[in-house]
Amino acid sequence: MIEWPHWMAIVVLAPLSGAVLTPIVSLRDRRIAPWFALATMTVTSVAALFLIMRVAQEGPFSYPLGAWTPPYGIELRFDEFSAAISVVCLVGSLAILCSVRYTEWLRELAKPRIPYYYALMLLNLGGMIGFMITGDLFNLFVFLEILSLSGYALVAVSGERTAEMAAFKYLLMGAISSLLVLFSVGIIFGITGSLNMVDVTTRLASVAADATMPAVLALGALTIGFMVKAAIFPVHVWLPDAHAIAPSPISAVLSGLVVKVGIIGMLRVYQIYYGSGILDLTVLNQVLLWLGAISIVMGAFFAIFQDDIKLMLAYSTISNIGYIVMGLGLSTNLSVIGGAVHVFNHALIKATLFLAAGAFIYRTGYRTLTDLRGIGRAMPLTSIALSIGAVSIVGIPPTAGFLCKWYIALGAFEADQPMFGFALIFGALFIFIYYIRMVNAFYFQEPIHKEVLRVEEAPLTMLGPILLLAALCLIMGILGRIPLTFIEPAALRMLAPLGG
Amino acid sequence: MEVVDIRPVLAPAISLVCAGLVFLQGSNAFWRRFWSLSAALVKLVVVLSMLPGSLQGIVYVYDFVEFTPGIGLAFRADALGMFFAAVSSTLWLLTTIYAIGYMKGAEHRVRFFGFFALCVSTTVGIAFAENLLTLFLFYEMLTICTYPLVIHDETPEALRAGRKYLIYTLTGGAFVLVASVIVFDASGTLSLGQPGILTQEMGMGTLTVIFLMLTVGFGVKAAIMPLQGWLPTAMVAPTPVSALLHAVAVVKAGVFGILRTIYNVFGVDLLAELGFTMPLAWLASFTIITASVIALFQDNFKRRLAYSTISQLSYIVLAASILTPFAATAAIAHIANQAFPKITMFFAAGAIAKKTGKKNIRELAGIGYKMPWTMGAFTVASLSFIGVPLTAGFITKWYMSLGALDAGEWWFVVVTAVSSILNAAYWLPIVYIAFFKAPPGTVMHVEEASPTLLVPILVCAVYVILLGATVEVPGMPFSLAEAAVNFVFGM
Repeated sequence: MIEWPHWMAIVVLAPLSGAVLTPIVSLRDRRIAPWFALATMTVTSVAALFLIMRVAQEGPFSYPLGAWTPPYGIELRFDEFSAAISVVCLVGSLAILCSVRYTEWLRELAKPRIPYYYALMLLNLGGMIGFMITGDLFNLFVFLEILSLSGYALVAVSGERTAEMAAFKYLLMGAISSLLVLFSVGIIFGITGSLNMVDVTTRLASVAADATMPAVLALGALTIGFMVKAAIFPVHVWLPDAHAIAPSPISAVLSGLVVKVGIIGMLRVYQIYYGSGILDLTVLNQVLLWLGAISIVMGAFFAIFQDDIKLMLAYSTISNIGYIVMGLGLSTNLSVIGGAVHVFNHALIKATLFLAAGAFIYRTGYRTLTDLRGIGRAMPLTSIALSIGAVSIVGIPPTAGFLCKWYIALGAFEADQPMFGFALIFGALFIFIYYIRMVNAFYFQEPIHKEVLRVEEAPLTMLGPILLLAALCLIMGILGRIPLTFIEPAALRMLAPLGG
Repeated sequence: MEVVDIRPVLAPAISLVCAGLVFLQGSNAFWRRFWSLSAALVKLVVVLSMLPGSLQGIVYVYDFVEFTPGIGLAFRADALGMFFAAVSSTLWLLTTIYAIGYMKGAEHRVRFFGFFALCVSTTVGIAFAENLLTLFLFYEMLTICTYPLVIHDETPEALRAGRKYLIYTLTGGAFVLVASVIVFDASGTLSLGQPGILTQEMGMGTLTVIFLMLTVGFGVKAAIMPLQGWLPTAMVAPTPVSALLHAVAVVKAGVFGILRTIYNVFGVDLLAELGFTMPLAWLASFTIITASVIALFQDNFKRRLAYSTISQLSYIVLAASILTPFAATAAIAHIANQAFPKITMFFAAGAIAKKTGKKNIRELAGIGYKMPWTMGAFTVASLSFIGVPLTAGFITKWYMSLGALDAGEWWFVVVTAVSSILNAAYWLPIVYIAFFKAPPGTVMHVEEASPTLLVPILVCAVYVILLGATVEVPGMPFSLAEAAVNFVFGM
């Protein structure tokens, strides 16, 4: 069962074809749409599960699409980093489940358009899965476009004026970044004559002497392109509005998953360039380190001053992506492992937070900390989930956020860059402060709106996913060693050419 | 001898469960009291049940969860930890009884007692932490759990004090975490179960950074000058909370952290070679004298107590910095010898404020007639701080002086003596005003505090005398402190 090769095709094709079919099957009754989408994601999740079990057993493996062998055919390649699709499936499915009630409630979203909402969502998830498992550079770009375009549409889905503005801003930045990626894919094809990543890696090594400049150019363009997607300072400006204005289940997907595409993209770039050994990446690493550190501090700093709970969470995403990028920039075994696992853990944590925030907004209609005062008494379960998420994102043991940050900090001291270790931990302190503010408002401050105290707990389709995610935040903390050991071979393989 | 035993985990865990039940059932007065008292009582019983074994040299350990090799949450009840746990859990029971009496009719009592019980849990967690990470975790949790208590009245002043408290202590916590990462990077372990895990080979720079960060991080809660700023402002909290901050949990957590740093992270031998503790000793001496001088000029009863706390805590830091066995005995014993007199005083000040509404010292004329038992207990505590023989304070000063002379540092004996004089100068006037000055009114009635307030006061006062008069105090025998010292010095 596990060995069956075609799971690889199914894991991409299921959500993409599901996206096309969703509007069709729900023509008669739009209430079918979420359940159809969920069924699609279940199939995808099963496929993903088998793939992950297989990679754990035998290491990376590839699948020639349409039986055309690489380097000429399109290759899908599954390595340990690709296992991030597990969290795409999980968070994606739960976000769909939360959307069942949320979309019905969303006034600005016209009811007949609801099936398209799920279609876009599946398109987005399918694009991400494809992006994470492809072994072909042009294919990488195609999937990047699928997920980006559906992402822009999802931000604008509510049809509000501000949402359109935010989506447009996102579109502008995103289009430029996609162009940069396409541009560098072209350069790489020009100098190597290949698009297959493994093939490119070996060929780059042989053409290195004559083509250093183009290789540098491609590296720079790819990095900047993926940095925009990952929302690293100074190209983060699109993120806060887009993530705050989108409907909450969408925010969970965007903030938890879509920004990670930039990270996975960078990992792919690193794999190619480290592997070919044609360039010394010290400068790039230094740049990433600094930008990561600035993102951590700046994101946390801006978050402190936000009253809008979703805007606050959006800034905290910038901060957390900063951690991951810092982990990559340090390029020690520990820090890369920590960063890669944080891709996974941050998705769980941020989804918990955004979905819980969404539940508050759904029940009360308020979205600022001031208005939501006292909500902890009215919606205790959601508030506890939110608090667990908050504790996790700060990185307090024994929750999911801790081990990754510990590994990255340890990597900083190991790499003799103690200043970044300090930046990391004091960044966490900032984050701590704003989550204390939040918990303080929910539990201790006197409510401004009395009706906040009378709302009920969120409906089961929202509460269930929220509690499940919160529980995972705890479980992934206690069982934190499992993802770390799982990802270790990939990190070691990536850094092996460095001789460390 | 190490024995795997669940009790070091049970002690914090049971009070954690009780705290949860306070939150759940707290709106009912009976259940609120029942679970609050259960949290304190059960913890005390669990801690005391380990005492006979501990006295025979058994160390109870329990690995709770290991994330990756060397990093996890683990518990270990060694002699030093047992001593701290015994002191805090004994005092906790008394403070809970006192708080039930004191908070009668106050608002937000569910929150108050819930977090109060949580603090029980975290303090014992600090005492039994086997590694720096576990220590850090509970150290931070203590900050978070005490914050709602500090801002209890929710006045602007209280909220300001709370914010200041958080900023100071969370920053301190971050320093501890950074230091832990560096320690792990340098030594590959975070264990606090050995007499020192660092070695000279790790380089002067690294060792200096670790020592600085740990002393700053823990020094915030230990209120070493110039990190003491949060403590006097946090006095806006209700009296049982002040007692808790000052005598039992928060400041002791800081001091305990410094003891762990000196004895278990660095080890006395390494520190003797490095000479890091001498500046710390001078800083502590400076704090002892300066805080005492400031205390002289405070008219607000609780503020005077606050500055006295700052001064007394540095005794422990000073004694620990001297690095001789006698001084170490003084440092560990002073955890109890400072806690009992100080909590007696806080209880007394609180009882007076509750009964008469008087918060300033000059208003206390004749209060000794009205509340003879309360003020009697207060007098005993004052004598202890001055260092009169047969009280707890004398033991500390005696051993510390012996230790300082062993190390050839007679200056610290002078510091102790000056501090004694200063203590006399700011405590005895209160006793004088209370007993010998005529009250402003005419007729005097004895109006003692209610039994829930008075009983804890008297029990604490009795402990002050017991600690000074005998080595076999129930629940916290002196031999435990000696056992800890023997372990630390490898004797």
